[in-house]
Amino acid sequence: MTKIQERPTNVLVVGVGGQGVILVSKVLAQLCLSKGLQVKQSEIHGMAKRGGTVFSHIRFGPQVWSPTIPAGEVDVLVALEWAEGLRWLEYLNPDCGTFISDTQHIVPPFACRNRQRGSEDTYARETPAEIIKKVPNGFALDAAGMAQELGNERTSNTILLGILSTTLDFEIKDWEETLDLFVPPKTVELNRQAFHIGRQWIENAIRTSEVAPVSELYEQKFFPEEKGLVEWEFIPEWCKGCDICVKMCPERCLKLTPDQKVEILDINDCTGCRICEWLCPDFAINIRKPVFIS
Amino acid sequence: MSNNLSKEFNIRDYLREDLMPHFLCPGCGHGIALRALLQAVHELEISKDQLAIVSGIGCSGRVGAYIDANTFHVTHGRPLAFATGLALARPDLEVVVITGDGDSLAIGGNHLIHACRRNLKMTCMMLNNEVYGMTGGQASPTTSQTRYTTTSPKGSIEPVFDACKLAEAAGAGFVGREVTLQMPSLKNLLKKCLQYDGFSFLEVISDCTEIFGRKNQLGTSPEMILNQKSSMRPDSYGNIVDEPFRPNFMKTGVLALNERPEYSATYRQHVARQLKSKEKK
Repeated sequence: MTKIQERPTNVLVVGVGGQGVILVSKVLAQLCLSKGLQVKQSEIHGMAKRGGTVFSHIRFGPQVWSPTIPAGEVDVLVALEWAEGLRWLEYLNPDCGTFISDTQHIVPPFACRNRQRGSEDTYARETPAEIIKKVPNGFALDAAGMAQELGNERTSNTILLGILSTTLDFEIKDWEETLDLFVPPKTVELNRQAFHIGRQWIENAIRTSEVAPVSELYEQKFFPEEKGLVEWEFIPEWCKGCDICVKMCPERCLKLTPDQKVEILDINDCTGCRICEWLCPDFAINIRKPVFIS
Repeated sequence: MSNNLSKEFNIRDYLREDLMPHFLCPGCGHGIALRALLQAVHELEISKDQLAIVSGIGCSGRVGAYIDANTFHVTHGRPLAFATGLALARPDLEVVVITGDGDSLAIGGNHLIHACRRNLKMTCMMLNNEVYGMTGGQASPTTSQTRYTTTSPKGSIEPVFDACKLAEAAGAGFVGREVTLQMPSLKNLLKKCLQYDGFSFLEVISDCTEIFGRKNQLGTSPEMILNQKSSMRPDSYGNIVDEPFRPNFMKTGVLALNERPEYSATYRQHVARQLKSKEKK
């Protein structure tokens, strides 16, 4: 009987239905299995097709007992969507965890439908750079954009897999061969390219991180406004009280008044996610450039 | 910050504010589609003078009238025909056709297939809400089977049109579909449509909450918009009629992308050739 010397390595992959969370975890699990390690994988993907959240726990090592990872013990957290990544951030090992996230935003209304007002929220108003500073090792990149440049948006999960591969001790050749088993035959070449793009990105990121954090560059391009308080502008004459914004708001900070107009309960709760603005059919809501607090 | 986002998007810059609030019912998906279009136009830095909107009759036709650009509100089913003339005469304009499911598939079905066939550079945005909303809720070519409308009080029994397949078969260069719930990806798809050199057809799955939704007890506006994807049925189910599902409408995103010669350029070359041969004579 083998002695249990070391605790298993824990990898958590999270995302929104349709992004390829399960594929990433399958590749990793198969690779570990072929190396003779014990692997336990546990996933939830039932509502994926309907825009729900998907997560997959993978634990591997000489001996694994439980299939799920306890909170605070995730070694590598791979998030295929930014909001999902933030939701699972508390699972990350606070001392030595690595956080890898795509910064793309997918409106996840189902994920937050049942959230009660006042309940604990894992959403953060912080910019990617601020989040990255909080975690021991953090990398935020626009994988979806990179995949789009490559020619197929669906390869963004492979780019993240490439980054994940740098954190674990397996050979590149083994990664590639396992990847080929799971992707459709036509896209083998494309996925290999995407895998290497991911590896290249992280090499550059580590090299340049002393000069300027990559996430900061990213932030200047995509999140110029997410600093300070949000200015929530509302045109009451245009609002028809259709209730969409109230039901969709992930923070539950909107309310329909008795005369069928929307009002904001507390501006401090608003994260400026713009879901209410996007889905308002009457253009009554405008999220303005935030007020900068200097 | 990249240049094209240098000025923050404010939808009020693009609306005729004296006409607002618009006449659409509370919760109508057409408003969301209009925002997506305007935001796409803003991000591509198309000036309002350059933008020409052609719209037909119906709720969708009315949408075009709220845009502060060159708008053209034409007869029922004919926006594509008018837009063809406009795009040929003024190739410098960015022509966008806003049309509805009845407008483009029933009354103007003929124009749709021929516009697809010619592949003239324009964008056709079809707002599909499964019903003729403005005239009181009659069944349209896209009304799902077993749904109740004014003209199908016991439930519709007609098979439905898959507009994207029709457009693809007729030869449209770019075919796409998106639901209004996913507004950011709808906007990105519209950007691709506007950049495409040829005829691009985009089907937007929208909601008619007041007329269609109420009659079929589909719930309130938020419920309807949340159910947009779940009420669709995958291809593998076939055409079984038991529950009202939107059949075969599962796929969203870019559905077809072909490289075909753009008609306007071909037309101009042809004219130049003819003039040359005339001079020789």
